[in-house]
Amino acid sequence: MKNKGIIIFLLIMAAVIIAVIVGDYVSDRPNRSKPNPFAYDVKEFKTVDPELIHYKESKNFRIGFEKPVAIAIHDDKIYVAGDNNLKCIDLSGALLHDFTLPGKPQTVEVFNQNIYIAINNQILVYDNGGNLLNEWEPMGENSLITAIAATENDVFVADAGKRKVVRYSSDGEFLTEFDGKAEEGVLHGFIIPSPCFDLDINDVNELWVVNPGLHALENYTFDGNLRAHWKNTGMRPEGFSGCCNPSHFTFLDDGRFVTSEKGLVRIKTYKRSGEFEGVVAAPTKFTDEGRAPDVAADSQNNIYALDFDKKLIRVFEPKNNTRLQPGD
Amino acid sequence: MKKLKYILFTFYFLLFTFTLIAQQQRFPKPEFESGYEQPDTVTPEPRALALEYFDVLVLILVLSLATWFALKTRSRQGVLWLSVFTLIYFGFYRNGCICSIGAIQNVTLSFADPTYAISLTALLFFILPLAFTLFFGRTFCAGACPLGAIQDLVIIKPISLPKWLNKTLGLIPYLYISLAVLFAATGTDFIICRYDPFVGIFRMDAKFLMVVLGVSFLLMGMFVARPYCRFFCPYSVLLSWMSRFSKWHLTITPAACIQCKLCTNSCPFDAIDFPTNEKEVVKSGLGTKRFLAYAVLIPIWVAAGVFVGERSHTFLSKANPDVFLAELLISNPEIKNDPDNLDVQTFLASGKTMETLVQEAEVIRGKFYVGSMIAGGFMGLVIGMTLLNTVVFRKRQDYVPHKGNCLSCARCMDYCPVEK
Repeated sequence: MKNKGIIIFLLIMAAVIIAVIVGDYVSDRPNRSKPNPFAYDVKEFKTVDPELIHYKESKNFRIGFEKPVAIAIHDDKIYVAGDNNLKCIDLSGALLHDFTLPGKPQTVEVFNQNIYIAINNQILVYDNGGNLLNEWEPMGENSLITAIAATENDVFVADAGKRKVVRYSSDGEFLTEFDGKAEEGVLHGFIIPSPCFDLDINDVNELWVVNPGLHALENYTFDGNLRAHWKNTGMRPEGFSGCCNPSHFTFLDDGRFVTSEKGLVRIKTYKRSGEFEGVVAAPTKFTDEGRAPDVAADSQNNIYALDFDKKLIRVFEPKNNTRLQPGD
Repeated sequence: MKKLKYILFTFYFLLFTFTLIAQQQRFPKPEFESGYEQPDTVTPEPRALALEYFDVLVLILVLSLATWFALKTRSRQGVLWLSVFTLIYFGFYRNGCICSIGAIQNVTLSFADPTYAISLTALLFFILPLAFTLFFGRTFCAGACPLGAIQDLVIIKPISLPKWLNKTLGLIPYLYISLAVLFAATGTDFIICRYDPFVGIFRMDAKFLMVVLGVSFLLMGMFVARPYCRFFCPYSVLLSWMSRFSKWHLTITPAACIQCKLCTNSCPFDAIDFPTNEKEVVKSGLGTKRFLAYAVLIPIWVAAGVFVGERSHTFLSKANPDVFLAELLISNPEIKNDPDNLDVQTFLASGKTMETLVQEAEVIRGKFYVGSMIAGGFMGLVIGMTLLNTVVFRKRQDYVPHKGNCLSCARCMDYCPVEK
């Protein structure tokens, strides 16, 4: 037995191999399950430094919708779409109008007494009295309208289904569309993992579009050329987290951004340059794992959040005057 | 002109490939800012389709080269360096995935589950080595398998195992492939991947137990050459079958054997068959009677295997997470209150009812009932055939590689003094 040592060694190795296979098999059964190794505790991000919170919740309105969908403010009147209706209320919460719509609304925009509502991926234009003024051609089969922004002569529609922004004339004539691809290769087109795709026009008539997959806000010319952008990824208050944020945004009257996020639900403001300014509503204000509220702002820079989970319009007013300072 | 076409093709191929790589990085990586450490993932990151096809191309090239070195140039050096390349490319660079051995399970699942679509790459990785083996012997094992390559490099002092032990241990791959197919067909687990001893070493992120497993195989491999290939590898079962029919298998001598016996100890895998001595065979009593007896026993072995399979299906089905969970929740209903039990909490969060879970578990157990009997019958057949083989007399006048067991490593050729 000149190989006796080797044989003993081999037997030990064989025993180890069998023990490892059996041990691994037995240890990985559901009754021996270990705590989730992938769990990521975001508790610490739900609490925000009070110094960073520049707004306080002053009031809220119960709007009586089973499924609220979108909010817009024009001339200090609040327009809320939901169920099969559009309600117009004043800033104190008094109901001014309530129109019945021919279907379930997707989003709403108001400009120059025209109310643009998307229903079944078709845009319907109403006046303030609830009269149907125009009915545009329906968008394609794979379209999903998530936002509308109107100016004097143009109406921009965010189509999350086709990952495009479509430009129409105010009469509903198709003008052009673009998908956010920039030649310089800085950005790669709109990345829209979920139906969160917002756009808006600011005080100086600039079109801004969210690129949610990139956590970016992008400024385009009306022809669809990328002019500027800023982005901020991160779990901390200044960043956007998750697959697709910000989910909604709007502008204050001085051009600052108001953003609303899902996942870690929170509302924040950013300067015109994209620099983080402060928090409007911390995650603790909202339902855990709730939906991102749609946001709108009045002429006094009060922010109106449509809380889909609590079915409320929640009003946040500035603690101090946070209007834009010269040079910002 | 033709050359220019090839250059242009290569250029566009690479351009296309790099574009796909760039596209994969479009999404910003999540940022964790609380010291959170991301757990290691079980499988490597997804790969661009063009790169997957590139892997297939590399496999074809490596298989062709291995065949060329083993059969044409008869170069052990060539096979050795090729296996080093394989170890680096398919092992450490491609992290041992995709591999032909594991592809058995993908192929099985694609037959058993109509909702599962096997990728063309996985299918080619499964078929190509078998096709090469059918014509040229196991050149895949020689130079194109990273698992074989890593073991081949640590062979220090190979010992020859007794024939009975070789035969007995040689049954393990049949058992392993039976279980792997059964578990894959029932959607239970991909055990070949799970217990791949070297993949953790290739990825350098293995769990401690898997490192121990890999190191144990390598330490064992210093004395028992390529133990995983010979006594575990489930793919070796299929390769061995194919190789037995190979028309252009490697030969020890390039011309007539001169019976010098220099090659007798050259094979660390005990895969050289010696010339038979007819007189000894007659003296040993291995005759027709024993052959007939063993042949008659085969159906009995199969029946016994079916019986054992039927008896063991309940035990085997517990490997399925749904079956195990259903039994666990029935026997320990209080476990529902354990917030740390991930499997139970995932089930509760899914909204699935207990009745649905039990029904699904019963369906899976039914599949195990049939599958275990088939697997048992197959093992019975294998044992019966193995025994029968021990009494089959095959006349050999020269030293020849055993077509089924020879790994085409070309070591024996270096010992042969015969020249063409």
